[in-house]
Amino acid sequence: MVSERQGGSATPQADGGNRLTAELARRAYNIRRHALRMGEVQGQGYVAQALGFADVLAVLYFQALRYNPADPHWEERDRCLLSIGHYAIALYAALIEAGVLPETEIESYGSDDSRLPMSGMASYTPGMEISGGSLGQGLPIAVGVCLGLKRKASRSFVYNLLSDGELNEGSTWEAAQSASHWQLDNLIAVVDVNNQQADGPSSQVMSFEPLEARWQSFGWHVARVDGNDLAALSEAFDSARNLQEPKPRVIICDTRMGRGVPFLEGREKAHFIRVDPDEWALALEQLRLEA
Amino acid sequence: MTSAEIQARSAALRAFYPMRVIREQFGRSMIALAEQRGDLVALTADLMYATGMAPFGERFPERLINLGIAEQNMTGVAAGLASCGKLAVVCGYAAFTSLRAIEQAKVDCAYNEVKVILCGLSAGLSYGVGGPTHQTFEDVAIMRAIPNMTVVVPSDTIELDQALQAAAARPGDAPIYLRIGRGPEHAFNDTAAPFEIGRARKLREGRDISLIANGPMVVEALIAADILAEHGIGASVLNMHTVKPIDREAVLSEAANVRGMIVVEEHNIHGGLGSAVLEVLRGGHGFPVELIGIEDIYPPIGPTFALRESLGLCASAIVARAMAMPRRN
Ligand SMILES: Cc1ncc(C[n+]2csc(CCOP(=O)(O)OP(=O)(O)O)c2C)c(N)n1
Ligand SMILES: [Mg+2]
Repeated sequence: MVSERQGGSATPQADGGNRLTAELARRAYNIRRHALRMGEVQGQGYVAQALGFADVLAVLYFQALRYNPADPHWEERDRCLLSIGHYAIALYAALIEAGVLPETEIESYGSDDSRLPMSGMASYTPGMEISGGSLGQGLPIAVGVCLGLKRKASRSFVYNLLSDGELNEGSTWEAAQSASHWQLDNLIAVVDVNNQQADGPSSQVMSFEPLEARWQSFGWHVARVDGNDLAALSEAFDSARNLQEPKPRVIICDTRMGRGVPFLEGREKAHFIRVDPDEWALALEQLRLEA
Repeated sequence: MTSAEIQARSAALRAFYPMRVIREQFGRSMIALAEQRGDLVALTADLMYATGMAPFGERFPERLINLGIAEQNMTGVAAGLASCGKLAVVCGYAAFTSLRAIEQAKVDCAYNEVKVILCGLSAGLSYGVGGPTHQTFEDVAIMRAIPNMTVVVPSDTIELDQALQAAAARPGDAPIYLRIGRGPEHAFNDTAAPFEIGRARKLREGRDISLIANGPMVVEALIAADILAEHGIGASVLNMHTVKPIDREAVLSEAANVRGMIVVEEHNIHGGLGSAVLEVLRGGHGFPVELIGIEDIYPPIGPTFALRESLGLCASAIVARAMAMPRRN
């Protein structure tokens, strides 16, 4: 593992692109494996989100983000704020794969003295920038971090990970309007649109389309991609970083929950899944490396 | 008696009370209420399943309004519905009902005097694994400081049903906050015993010490009183389900009859039931009062009963405190 990862590489050459995508695919596969193994420890949890979001996290942690696995507080790092605290299992999986957390901690997931609680907490986990769990609080903090970094003349980017359900909260849109008001070109919001929230499909609970138009009307640069297409994600993250316009950027990622494990992909009520003890082995077995 | 003996005795007495799932009762009680009250409209913010309201949604789809994850909007909408004569019941988590949407509760509901029933589920440590964002130990203090707001903390499934009924039947236009748990809790109340908002219920008589409690701490006080009685200490137990308006007479009559008092609640020791009791006594009764609650910290993340135990919110800790504390002659 390199001690400092440099993100924001220019768009790779054709076959270099293939190599990059193959590397990202391997990372995404490992992230899914880590998440499944943590899911098995508790027998339940927000596992389907982690599987759906793994490709986005692979591109984030192995292409876009600048960080130092040995020093999570490295001043020049890009900040990655998990606004959706319940996605902690997904972020832990990425942090393990990134070498920020040791793989051995998987076994402790969600137990009493663990550094890996069910909801993401800055006070517990290296690499966890904020304490989540109350939805709608991440983007406002991100706006503040962007303003703070600019005042320090820092060139770091701030990524904020949100979900479609979280777009219901007014505070998210209050932050969105302030981000464009202050032309926060160091802010990249990433929205996981899995069309699921606690009470059902997001589009049925509270309709949210047209999503690109909504963000655009708030003054943001918008990209919308298939969040399980590594090449498309790779390109979208590069464009977001390299954009010259003085605007905040949002990458809307349409993902499939449970992605990679066929019997979990089609599950209803996927928000919080329970899996029978013997099915975890099956899930790990079904999981395939996709290129 | 050693602390291990107290704990063993408390476990034995505890086994006597059946466990009932609070949110399931909430859903059942809401259906029953909606059957009686054609004007009832329930609101939730993407927590229909989590508050036990899914059966209600199936039974009365047109009377359950789901606003998505937008608690401020929900509470404002509830105020608007109430102003049109609806009995609006907000079905949310205590954390978000009492914190995220507090101005809507204050201005839109309480100041404007509209009859909204604000339900805060998963309160206290009942969702311990949810961590600091979902554990709620400041809601009673906040709600209590809002003029026109009534605050009720039911102690089991039976009292939850009674409190909902009473909240709906209350005359006048003003909001009420019901602080409600989540998972399995001990059930102990007598279904035939009358319930009245603002009137405490005396569950045990005793002349040495008075235990005043509400919510899931009432059963802990009952178990503690039984253990204390076995050791020759008479403990009275007062179920102070209504924190506001507090039953002043009940507090004063306890104070006149006992030699010490312990107030127990699953809430920060600042601003909750303990504070409300001390406001009634105003230090003028010359006898010791101790508060058991969350000592102004963020508790760790963990399962409910283990957390309560580790924080001293349990029968054995009440017994130990009662035995150690000074008593008025
Ligand atoms: C302010 C707030 N309200 C409600 C909740 C309870 N809650 C936790 S996750 C969740 C659904 C979130 O939507 P989304 O992230 O899209 O769900 P997923 O895709 O994970 O199913 C809700 C309502 C919360 N954590 N915070
Ligand atoms: Mg979602």
